[in-house]
Amino acid sequence: MAQRVVKPKTNLGPGFWPITALIVVVSAIMIYFTATSPWPVGLIPAGEPAPATDSLFRFLGCVAAFIFNVVVIYTIYFGIVFRRPKDAPPHHIGVQIHDAPVLEFWWTVIPTILIIILAIFSVKIWDDLQNTQGDVLTVEAIGYQFGFQFRYPKLANVVSGELHLPVNTPTTVQITSRDVIHGFWLPEFRVKADMVPGLITTIRITPLQTGTFRIVCSEFCGVAHGAMHGTVVVQSQADFAKWFKAQGATGTSATGGAAGAAVAVSSGSASAGQALFQSKCTACHSTGEFSQKIVGPGLGHIFNDPAHPKLVNGAAPTPANVAKLIHDGYTGDIGTMPSATVNAINNTDIANLTAYLVSLSKK
Amino acid sequence: MATLAPGVKTGPYHAVLDHIHPEPTSFIRRYIFSIDAKVIGIQYMITGGLFFLIAGLLAEIIRAQLMSPTGAVVTPATYNAIYSMHGSAMVWMVIIPLVSGAFGNFVMPLQIGARDVAFPWLNLAAFWMFPVAGIILFSSFLVGAPDAGWTEYPPISLQGPPGTSLWCIAIFLVGVSSTLTGINFAVTMLKMRAPGMTFTRMPLFVWAQLATSPLLFVATTALGAALAALFIERTFGVPFYDPAHGGSPVLWQHMFWFYSHPAVYIMILPVFGIISEVLPTFSKKPIFGYKMVAFSTVSIALLGFTVWAHHMFTSGMVPWLQLPFMILTMLIAIPTGVKIFSWMATLWGGSIDWKTPMLFATAFLITFTCGGLTGFFLAAVPADYHEHGSYFVVAHFHYVLYGGSVMGLFAGFYYWWPKITGKMYNETLGQLHFWITFIAFNGTFMPMHWLGLMGMPRRVAIYDPQYTFWNQFASISSFILALSMLIFLYNMLIWTFRHGKPAGPNPWGGRTLEWMISSPPPYYNYKKIPAVLAAPYDFGNPLPYIGLDAAPGAVEATPTAESHPVPTH
Repeated sequence: MAQRVVKPKTNLGPGFWPITALIVVVSAIMIYFTATSPWPVGLIPAGEPAPATDSLFRFLGCVAAFIFNVVVIYTIYFGIVFRRPKDAPPHHIGVQIHDAPVLEFWWTVIPTILIIILAIFSVKIWDDLQNTQGDVLTVEAIGYQFGFQFRYPKLANVVSGELHLPVNTPTTVQITSRDVIHGFWLPEFRVKADMVPGLITTIRITPLQTGTFRIVCSEFCGVAHGAMHGTVVVQSQADFAKWFKAQGATGTSATGGAAGAAVAVSSGSASAGQALFQSKCTACHSTGEFSQKIVGPGLGHIFNDPAHPKLVNGAAPTPANVAKLIHDGYTGDIGTMPSATVNAINNTDIANLTAYLVSLSKK
Repeated sequence: MATLAPGVKTGPYHAVLDHIHPEPTSFIRRYIFSIDAKVIGIQYMITGGLFFLIAGLLAEIIRAQLMSPTGAVVTPATYNAIYSMHGSAMVWMVIIPLVSGAFGNFVMPLQIGARDVAFPWLNLAAFWMFPVAGIILFSSFLVGAPDAGWTEYPPISLQGPPGTSLWCIAIFLVGVSSTLTGINFAVTMLKMRAPGMTFTRMPLFVWAQLATSPLLFVATTALGAALAALFIERTFGVPFYDPAHGGSPVLWQHMFWFYSHPAVYIMILPVFGIISEVLPTFSKKPIFGYKMVAFSTVSIALLGFTVWAHHMFTSGMVPWLQLPFMILTMLIAIPTGVKIFSWMATLWGGSIDWKTPMLFATAFLITFTCGGLTGFFLAAVPADYHEHGSYFVVAHFHYVLYGGSVMGLFAGFYYWWPKITGKMYNETLGQLHFWITFIAFNGTFMPMHWLGLMGMPRRVAIYDPQYTFWNQFASISSFILALSMLIFLYNMLIWTFRHGKPAGPNPWGGRTLEWMISSPPPYYNYKKIPAVLAAPYDFGNPLPYIGLDAAPGAVEATPTAESHPVPTH
């Protein structure tokens, strides 16, 4: 252990400081171009959250460029200047240094600080994404083998393949799948979410320019996975309104139309409803939060869940509309609920079930 | 008689293996169903090497297919089977068996001064599960190979062809094999080190194996459970994962990645160990910061258990849960950075002999750093929302697994080949292999970074024509990469045996135990268990590394056919 003593300051190797200067200069140039790049991933930012994500990419790129230069340039430099001399005796050995605690301290602490900064930056952007305003327009995206379908709450019909969005409109996309897992990737928006059957995932985007952009399936979904594409058509507000109207907007579905008139909702008994719920509904529905899905969503807060202000058929969550839904059943892309006839329940039963659901939401 | 340095404990050596059996005379007992860890290690090398060639050919079919945006070679259905089998085989049948089974079995007992592993018969059983599993896996091509990727996410894998069930069986079996290997290795390293080999004198390859073994027997069990459930659901329809019947597809993802993220460290930690052997030996310097390198290995192994869900940022899990997984993932960069810097500092001031293993080990520093840096891009959740499921991920894990594990394995092969065969390989061919591999590797996988960032998803048999140029660039590079393997095979398997000079016990001037005995090592490694007198890689230390007569109570091994005596502890 006698060889532990070295004087690194006096003998770092020939050309150490010029090489260090080279690393600084090369890194500065790379950082300059990365930090000022308008398209750091080579794609235009067509809408939120792309600008925020791009700023994270720029920061990551700068840090990565610096570390890359340090590792690669020093490694090659050490490899050249410390190569074994041609005429070295057989037992020629290197500088017998075992460690340098000060150096090790700094090369642990400096990366740690970089990581903390990066983590804070990432968390901040993550937080922005979670709290972005959506909800001015809500669209449901449903993946299937092998394509995308879109439903608009105020449209009766389903739009296939093309997602039309008005520019500058905060939009919530609720994502699910009808069969297997797909990926809903908007490269020009730098965002994606898996389309998982039985699960609804939400992303929020705001288109910033008009145009046609790609939707790419990013989770393997079967034999034609590579061919599974869709299109986002971002239009001006006026064009979007025109398109929307041409699609046959009902404009009234927010009220859900008339409820099942024969059901006397107010006369229901919650306790009778609870027993009925156990026998008829629990195979598919829990009484917990919306997200506690079995086949359908949890119904614990069907009347007062701010995240899900509408029923599956687009109607407002009033007792009358819920009763109508139980009466009519529901068939759609995310599943099927049998009608009252199939379930063998009469209007009194529906009233009791509705009363029970109302009592749940009050808890 | 030399003595152990004052204050050094004698280590955990037990006298159990002073009693040895004679070398078997039957060929089958000696080389086929052998209990000699060195033979088993070579068997792992041969089997894993064969599977590497098959899985590599599958990779070349993938790249050939992607020469054209409409798919040049096979139908999409066949393509899906090919890339799924490529990934499954490379992970389970090539890299994991090679890094732990092959090098762990051959090198680790030698380096700790043991005559064999703790449970030789268990070792034999663990090995033979591996080729059986490999044959089951590849035979799935006969009935319809699994086609949903090596991750086999349900529900798509529930609809997969019959071969998917064979896939479950094969991976389960190879999982049992690596679980047994992990237990065997852990006991060997904890209980059978030579006298004087304290924890701080263990070679770093041994440290790496020690940190890996709990990953093998803890994480693999989760995979086994997940595979059993997938098999049961496919066969008997019990709904674990199918949401249409109340299952949860995300459950599979959690259980799969609870194994498969630690599996990344199973594949890379032993390679870290190889690098930590090669760099000091060819720089003729002690490894820089021995304790920090060892400690960082252990901390990476521990942290590796806590980050699995970073593969699932877009899977629809609760959003807040993404943050702890992101931060824990980023923390892994700290011990990894310590390692990279320590290796660089090992080069500094060295007397670097640029032999082939050293070239591969140094290239590993560069390519693995690239893989680590892109890991950062993937760990940052908002960036991952863009990158997940794209070719950027493919680029990242090939930089880690090819630029990391395979580069390190090449370094290990060139480094220990003289020890294994007793003969030297051809240095010129080795360096030629290195340069072609290094350049072609970067040509193959570098373009995938920007292909992914620009919107190309992974696992596609056809793609948007705007990506044609860089795909063709990657494909042609990959063909060159495949050709470079021929140089390697010729050099190691033909040239070495025909023309190689005798290597002698220590061709590289190494200062760990395996270089203290003849090449190839004798049947029971050490006739007398040596006593370790100093730290490894301490090239400037005038004291000898080992004393052959120093172990207190070291008994010369005498072959006997009697039954085992009761071990005394």
